[in-house]
Amino acid sequence: MEEIIAHLTPILKEITGYIYPNEIELHWGLLVVIYPYLTGLVAGAFILASLVKVFNVKEVQPTYRMSLLTALAFLLIAPLPLLAHLGHPEKSFEIFLTPNTTSAMAMFGFVYAWYLMAVLLLEIWFDYRKDMIVWASESSGLRRWMYKLLSLFSSDLSDKALKFDKKAAKVLTIIGIPSAFLLHGYVGFIFGSIKANPWWSSVLMPIVFLFSAIVSGIALVLLIYMVVTPMRGNKIDMTCLNKIASFLFYAMIVDFSLEALDFIHRIYESEESIKILAQLVSGKLFVSLVIIQLLIGMLVPLIAIAVVKIMDAPAELRRLVYFVSALLVQVGIFSTRWNVVVGGQLFSKSFSGLTVYKMGFFGLEGLLVSIIIMVMPFVILYVLFKVLPPFENPAQS
Amino acid sequence: MDLDNFNWEEINKKLKESVRAMKSFWKSLPEQVKRLTVIVIVLIFALIFVRGLLVPADFGKYGHYRASAIDEIISQEINYAGHGICLECHDDIVEKKQSSYHKGVSCEVCHGPAAKHTESPDEVSLRAPRGRGYCPLCHEYLPSRPTGFPQIVSASHNPMKPCITCHNPHDPKPPQTPKECSACHAEIARTKSLSRHIYVPCVRCHEAPVDHKIKPREVLPSKPQTREFCGGCHGEDADSDKGIPRIDLAEHYEHYTCWQCHYPHLPEAP
Repeated sequence: MEEIIAHLTPILKEITGYIYPNEIELHWGLLVVIYPYLTGLVAGAFILASLVKVFNVKEVQPTYRMSLLTALAFLLIAPLPLLAHLGHPEKSFEIFLTPNTTSAMAMFGFVYAWYLMAVLLLEIWFDYRKDMIVWASESSGLRRWMYKLLSLFSSDLSDKALKFDKKAAKVLTIIGIPSAFLLHGYVGFIFGSIKANPWWSSVLMPIVFLFSAIVSGIALVLLIYMVVTPMRGNKIDMTCLNKIASFLFYAMIVDFSLEALDFIHRIYESEESIKILAQLVSGKLFVSLVIIQLLIGMLVPLIAIAVVKIMDAPAELRRLVYFVSALLVQVGIFSTRWNVVVGGQLFSKSFSGLTVYKMGFFGLEGLLVSIIIMVMPFVILYVLFKVLPPFENPAQS
Repeated sequence: MDLDNFNWEEINKKLKESVRAMKSFWKSLPEQVKRLTVIVIVLIFALIFVRGLLVPADFGKYGHYRASAIDEIISQEINYAGHGICLECHDDIVEKKQSSYHKGVSCEVCHGPAAKHTESPDEVSLRAPRGRGYCPLCHEYLPSRPTGFPQIVSASHNPMKPCITCHNPHDPKPPQTPKECSACHAEIARTKSLSRHIYVPCVRCHEAPVDHKIKPREVLPSKPQTREFCGGCHGEDADSDKGIPRIDLAEHYEHYTCWQCHYPHLPEAP
């Protein structure tokens, strides 16, 4: 009891207006911010990969495998913040054993499993099967057995089999696009369907989430491509980079329009919550929403990319602008998630008071755990790049 | 069922044919699909096996939960007796409480779980809180409590006396009728204290019959009904203090009543 009081006292001092007792402390903190951010990166990276397979955008071929592995690395970690937030991770498998079809949150387990097992792993497997067989024959010892196991001891390298691999990967990508939409659209759905919360309750939510996911995923793969390629002593393929930047630009335009539509719609509707939401946006969320999300995370990169494209800037400058823009986009999209998750809990359901979010450093919900969770996908990605190098492609050479 | 009518040879032949067809279908599958199919089949059987092992047999009988959980809950020890049974022995107190403000408060709220006491009244006796800690759980001032609900600030309300020296919990009418409205309308009094209206006594706007203090919900005080009432002080030609803000009643948002925009207990609020 005393612990709770010690925890609540500083928060109480920062409350403004009237607020119900159960709204003083936010229950969805930083971990719940990270969760949609990570799933968004997965969906976005996959959409970039699908450009190659389904929409035949040959220019971005160098990032195809990289995108798939990025999606996998982030997908493996995506449920971790939820497990850390809910506690009792040992019980989480029960949602698979006794499916509750009326609970959107419970059904997410199946969406996740479908996306991981039926789409992403299968597509990566079909795409890498030939290489894994070749690597197994070229290496020795433990590595040889690892590749043999990963390829499920497959050995058929006939033209027919390779053709089938290609076809299967394409079909899986086609299935994967709606699945990726489902995966991240679901996250938006969870927030959008909370009808008691005017900041969340909007049918546009899944679509806004989806497009911000595509933006963040494309920007992430662009960053990884720009960091990893020079590190390996290779030259960055400017045609590929220009194309990715173009897609990033288009996705941002759509995302920006959708968010603007949502914003205008809210103002035009002017429901009873509009006053407190206006207070929220112009007060507690001003820096994270207007400055970081809108200005630094959206308008600055949009204008920067547009300027280098229109001015036909030299490659050196383009690379710099793309890199900085992609970084800013990451900050902006993270801020978007923050503004949705934390912002939605800062105001009282009485519409006449605001509370504050105090982030801890230690503890399961603290900053330290969050940083660890955010670093983990990159560690997994490093291992994946070592085991399944996305760069050399004997299938093509 | 007449087994003699079955043409066993025919059935056998068809069975063999279908097995052959399945075999040739399996052979026609690409090698990698065969391997994946095996994995998928293993996974499906593993899931079925684990489900059979871990999901309780009676899960889902009534709903999305274990049916035997109900029996487990039923078999839990009963601690509370319910307020009906108290009447059997303590009829005088129950009757008194029934006509008091505390009629909605069950006996066990203060006296604690009474199931054991009702079974063996002589051996198990119930206690009631006698210190100052308990009553403020409901009656300490909190802005979210409804107006009219009696609230005190226990630090300043007769700080050394236990509540029961003045208030009988079974009929907690205060020993003296409260002189100030703030005894019950604490939230309004505190709000008004921040406003210039602090100098306006409650009865200037509300006519409160004496009986309101005794039967607060049955006899209600009046509220101003017209714009002209506020105009009594705030109108241009009102006979009031010079510092009071004035408006032209005929011009100033003439289709609205004053309290649609100004909260009378804190008119400074935006």
